[in-house]
Amino acid sequence: MNVTYILIAFGLMLGMMLLGLPIAVAMAGVGIVGGLLAYGMPFIDSIAPVLWGVHNDNLLTAVPLFVLMGELLLRSGIADRMFGALAAWLGRLPGGLLHTSIGCSALFAATSGSSVATAATVGTVALPSLYKRGYRMDMSLGAIAAGGTLGILIPPSVNMIIYGSLTDTSIGKLFIAGILPGLLLTGCFMLFIWGHALVTGSTIREEKVPLAQRLRALKDLIPPGVVFFIVMGSLYTGLATTTESAALGVVTSLFFAWYGGKLNWTLLQHCFVQTAKTSGMILLIITAAFILNLAISLTGVAEAMTTWVTSFGLSATQMLLVLVVFYFVLGMFMDVLSMMVATIPITFPIVTHLGVDPVWFGIFIVLMCELGMITPPVGMNLFVVHGIRPDKGGIRDAMVGAVPYVIIMLVFTLLIIAFPEIVSWLPSKM
Amino acid sequence: MMKNFIERWLGTLFGLVFMGLSLVVTVETVMRKVFTVSLQGAGELGGYALAIGATIAFSLALIGRTHIRVDVFHDRLPAWLQTALNWLSVISLAAFASLMAWLAWFVIRDTQTYQSVAQTPWATPLVYPQGAWLFGLIMFALVSVGLAIHASILLLTGRADELNANYGPRSTKQEVDEELEDLKSRSSNVAAHVNITATGVRP
Repeated sequence: MNVTYILIAFGLMLGMMLLGLPIAVAMAGVGIVGGLLAYGMPFIDSIAPVLWGVHNDNLLTAVPLFVLMGELLLRSGIADRMFGALAAWLGRLPGGLLHTSIGCSALFAATSGSSVATAATVGTVALPSLYKRGYRMDMSLGAIAAGGTLGILIPPSVNMIIYGSLTDTSIGKLFIAGILPGLLLTGCFMLFIWGHALVTGSTIREEKVPLAQRLRALKDLIPPGVVFFIVMGSLYTGLATTTESAALGVVTSLFFAWYGGKLNWTLLQHCFVQTAKTSGMILLIITAAFILNLAISLTGVAEAMTTWVTSFGLSATQMLLVLVVFYFVLGMFMDVLSMMVATIPITFPIVTHLGVDPVWFGIFIVLMCELGMITPPVGMNLFVVHGIRPDKGGIRDAMVGAVPYVIIMLVFTLLIIAFPEIVSWLPSKM
Repeated sequence: MMKNFIERWLGTLFGLVFMGLSLVVTVETVMRKVFTVSLQGAGELGGYALAIGATIAFSLALIGRTHIRVDVFHDRLPAWLQTALNWLSVISLAAFASLMAWLAWFVIRDTQTYQSVAQTPWATPLVYPQGAWLFGLIMFALVSVGLAIHASILLLTGRADELNANYGPRSTKQEVDEELEDLKSRSSNVAAHVNITATGVRP
């Protein structure tokens, strides 16, 4: 397989995506045309069993289940109420409600896979309060946009399920591996807010909330906490598979929605329709990715690319640094889920050939996706927070506000390259 | 109206499949742990639920225009090219959907030839779940071909604006607006915790 052809095909695919053709069509199209050129009609025959294989894969059943779980917690208002509880506990830190926003995003992330919903919900609750109390708008927008990205790093994460199914990596291990980096990154964000508040002297703190009231507020953290522990606990102890843990999560969320008196037919229908739309979008992209994957593995693209890349004599670390730049640039222009699915069939064999751990690389890819959500011009979360800001200002504020977080994430990526144990330690204890 | 009706109806079917599955799997998991009795087959059921659910979801995402398209450069392209790309998007999705339905037919044909059953304790004849799967994919193909015909008629009769309005990429703004709309309907909750935070306001 000639590397020039591969690069042309990859370029064509990216071109089709950037022109605005459906992502799934661009991927499947390049895969099918490539396969046809190499093998003719028999290639089409070989797609058929792959199609059934993907759609009948019990592992991928976890995708709609986790989406449904997040929808139930979101639409029944359970997630909204976390903000109040966290405000009572974190508001005293220098930087006040900004910490609450980050903390709330992190907790929200533990129950939801959607970054748009995370940023929109936290933003709608937090931004008016932040605005009224005179927090700097760019700081506020940046914190909420960046906080929202934690959704895909802190498990359960739909992106990790997709990565795991495309690369045959244990999803349970990926989930567990995401916990420590997720907490550390959350900590880094809060440390930055703290430091920034102290250095600039704009130390807004919230009034002290009486202990009794703070303890009462804790009850709003129980439902998301219980859901998280049931899902992750059953996975960690090996009691349940990924899909089973997702099912347990759905049932627990249903219980809390019912317990909170929110469960009714209208709410359920709304959750169902939203879940179907999101899952349909994700599953069609996954289907296309498996077709592309088939073409790639039959035609030996991965081997050719691996040989080509190794001919440059890069070490694993150098290769990863190249990939940071590659993903950083690509993430500016592409929807991150599409970016991930379209690139890992090529990048995964290359880095694992260089000895990089598959679970570690999954976390790396997710971090790159997070970056893509807050880098302009196509930073999904920037648009989301901009769309809900209460005052009139330009999108520039959101972009400026996100810059420190972009830098933090880049440094954090270098940190996990230097100390891979941050990622691999917890899953090794499983 | 019609769209809303289909959306709700299909969405409910989709949701009930996965809610039912969750209940069965939960019962199975708990029984396995507590009574060390396995019902078996919950995993197999999950696979079939996905096969059927996915095809419904494809159609719903199509109607709701949630199949991702990158819109960063789209808005900056000349109008005629935008129209052409929007038309091509509908056509190519219809082609992809039809291909999937056609391939699913291959799968079923082989299943019938070899009388295949699932490699599980249940030994389910695969023709049943695959039949439902094929049906779902045919529905998806029909819906997408229908939209493609509609888009082509709009193009041929020179109604480019209508074509762009109906088949252009859904912008982020639309997505955010929908999310906000939903938040408003939950506003009683939002008000509740703004109250809690309000106790922290300095006098």
